[in-house]
Amino acid sequence: MSGLTSGPMSGAEPGSERRSLLVEEPALSTWLRDGMCVALGGLATACHAMIGVRHIIRLGLRDLTVVGSAVGGLDVDLLIGAGCVRKVVCPYVGAEALASIGPFYRAAAERGEIEVWECDEGQYYAGLQAAGQMLPFMPTRGGVGTSYPEVNPELKLFSDPVRGETLVAVPAIVPDVALLHAAQADAYGNVQFVGTGYADRLLWRAADRTLVQVEKVVSNEEIRRAPERTALLAHGILRAPFGAHPFSSPGFYLEDRAHIAELVEAGRAFARSGDRGPLERYLDRYVRGPADHVAYLEAVGLRRLLSLGEY
Amino acid sequence: MDAPSVKELMATFIARDITDGEEVFVGTNLPVIRAGALLAHLHHGPSMRVMVAHTRTNLYHTPVMEYFELLTDWRGARWAEAYFNDNEIVMYQKSRRDSVFFVGALQIDRFGNSNLIGLGPDPRRLRLRGPGAIATTTNASHVRRFYLFVNEHSPRVFVPRCDFVSTVGWGPGGPDARRRLGLPGGGPRYCITPLAVLDFEETSKRMRLHSTHPRVTVEEVQARTGFELLVPERVPVTALPTDAELDILRRRVDPQGLLRR
Repeated sequence: MSGLTSGPMSGAEPGSERRSLLVEEPALSTWLRDGMCVALGGLATACHAMIGVRHIIRLGLRDLTVVGSAVGGLDVDLLIGAGCVRKVVCPYVGAEALASIGPFYRAAAERGEIEVWECDEGQYYAGLQAAGQMLPFMPTRGGVGTSYPEVNPELKLFSDPVRGETLVAVPAIVPDVALLHAAQADAYGNVQFVGTGYADRLLWRAADRTLVQVEKVVSNEEIRRAPERTALLAHGILRAPFGAHPFSSPGFYLEDRAHIAELVEAGRAFARSGDRGPLERYLDRYVRGPADHVAYLEAVGLRRLLSLGEY
Repeated sequence: MDAPSVKELMATFIARDITDGEEVFVGTNLPVIRAGALLAHLHHGPSMRVMVAHTRTNLYHTPVMEYFELLTDWRGARWAEAYFNDNEIVMYQKSRRDSVFFVGALQIDRFGNSNLIGLGPDPRRLRLRGPGAIATTTNASHVRRFYLFVNEHSPRVFVPRCDFVSTVGWGPGGPDARRRLGLPGGGPRYCITPLAVLDFEETSKRMRLHSTHPRVTVEEVQARTGFELLVPERVPVTALPTDAELDILRRRVDPQGLLRR
């Protein structure tokens, strides 16, 4: 099933069943191509769609515009290190206390190898809101009096026609596809989080199509037990136990700090001296080596995975 | 009890400036700011709400809330009264009118304008890329007031002119600078550093020395500031925490002793 078609609905054969939106991992390739605008959900060190990220690297995609989360994580950093990214659209890339700024992100930006669409979180969310409302832009006040319109010429000061205030027009940020990670969904794309889901619902509203990795696929009856918890309606669902690893997944596991440290160290070696050795070893061991998600989890190891419980 | 550390002093200054009923948003990995907010709450703010590790809560009758290093640590849910989507927290600033907020900086100028974008001159090719503004640009435009907070007091940080401005303080200066820009929030009230507390003179909104921490001289603060500070005739020493405050800090807010390292 192609993830990209969105043509007119054709009638199903009389008597046929409701269509399953479950996607097998190899079919992720049909959702992704060079030069796309890809949004990555989660926040900071939680809930990034890492099966999708590793798949992008295995496909060797190039020139992506990556819309990271508002506190973009090392998911974005890894894609930059692997050479998949042309432009980054988010206010931050890093892992807070574990890496105050993404080392590949910083090095690539300082060397002019990637373009950064400078913004703060308010502007970033305004751009996604505009996309979701099918508007060309959304006004914000955050940015008035600052250097943002200078460091990002797409943020334009304008005089609001209602009250005459000077505001910032943020153009719509429209991802071709959003890759998210959540707690559970049924086969029909009804997605439920543990916790708030950060801003994943807004990414879904803004993006043309949304694929959600879930810790577990549940029955439609299970979803109907608490339909008010259904946060978004995905176009594709990928079964993904431990699919946010090495990042945390609320209700399931904590971040894998030792693994994250390995990734950060590879980035720092590159930033210090341009040494790609540790990164290539990381990619061989965890990304290009394992053929799929199960092989990745085997490379990480059961003992490590089961040590990541919240309590 | 041992004498208070500089970090405990800074946390106490923050706490005393926060009044009951205010809502405080604390980022993560900011132990001094977290301690200041929680000290205010537990000492004199029973009706406050604090947001720590994305958890919106009231901890007045909670003996100790665990320290979380990461924003998204879901274990904070044990203490939560409410959670909101991240985009709602940032976008709906109307509900932040009673909030106070903290802004870090790579550079700060004499009017409290600050920079987290990076060091220039060319914005397309920053010499040093900073962490970025996170949500400080939007929040500092709207919240009731904010505090500038830095862990380093040096001419590198306190500069005549920021390479870029990510958060407006008092703009070009003057009491109505923010009104002229159309920014509804109250602006920066204090700038808190490891050497001193600075405020902004009422008419010019230039940075002024408010107090020096114990054993720090006025001359030392001026020498480590890259522009001329306004210095009142008498500069007090930053007030020490009382025994009651220190007891709450050490027993309930920071039992792991992050502020004494």
